[in-house]
Amino acid sequence: MPPMPLVPPLVQQLIDLLVAAPPLEGYLVVGAILFAIGAWGALVRRNAVVVFMCVELMINGVNLTLVAFADYLPNAGGLGASYAVLVIAIAAAEIAVGLAIVLAVFRTRRTVNVDEVTSMRG
Amino acid sequence: MTVAFAFLAGMTLVSAFGVVLSRNVVHSALFMSGSFLAVAGFFVMLNAPALAAFQVLIYVGAVTVVILFGIMFTQRPQARRYRTIVNRQGWWGFFVAAGVGTFLAYVLANEDWGSTAAGNGPRDVGAFGHDLLGVSAGSEIFVLLFEVASVLLLVAIVAAIVVSRRKTGEGIDREVRE
Repeated sequence: MPPMPLVPPLVQQLIDLLVAAPPLEGYLVVGAILFAIGAWGALVRRNAVVVFMCVELMINGVNLTLVAFADYLPNAGGLGASYAVLVIAIAAAEIAVGLAIVLAVFRTRRTVNVDEVTSMRG
Repeated sequence: MTVAFAFLAGMTLVSAFGVVLSRNVVHSALFMSGSFLAVAGFFVMLNAPALAAFQVLIYVGAVTVVILFGIMFTQRPQARRYRTIVNRQGWWGFFVAAGVGTFLAYVLANEDWGSTAAGNGPRDVGAFGHDLLGVSAGSEIFVLLFEVASVLLLVAIVAAIVVSRRKTGEGIDREVRE
């Protein structure tokens, strides 16, 4: 006769559900929503520093998507994580140059409000 | 895994909303740090522990500190009073972003990705390094990308110094009001 199960089958089902890997679509949807929230913030906030933060959020959403593909798609070969490293490096360069530009704008215009910096408006 | 996924997803999205909706800029920066930390947890779940370490070091550490320095330099004391933080396009921006997010989530959730199974990520840090340096099969382009990224970082450092430094002879341009 088979050995007695250690836990009741219903509890075992619950445990199986809890330890199962979430589907690929879960990660993709979280990445898409993170991208959308970042896009919203970049569109509506006035402070240039906050706009940079929201751009970083968008980049993180894309990174999450890349790494999820690298882990779940068999033919990806795990290369999405390597692309994510390059994206992180480029984002670091972008934040350095961007904050330098914000500092320069603040020094000359005395504001970081993106609605007030309109000297290039046509 | 499902519990961890739900926790990390909630932390990511709530912190992201905190970045957009927080009235205090410093609070926005700290919310952003929390969101990055949750994404690092996702990377651990997705079999990329080395990438999670990079995420914590670069985003949670370096980028947050640089942004806090930027806040410190650009927020004048008299600018700290409450003023409207959202421009006139607040609701329109919300609708556009919600539309984009819904569309992306719909497309990504309904696309047929073929046979997907977790566990293909480069959990082994040695294999991950081989991928990144273009040694392993199929990743030959990465040696070029790696070198280009290093040159880009060097150029970015020089550009940040050149753009943000005070010109000689410009003198003190911030009147001290303390």
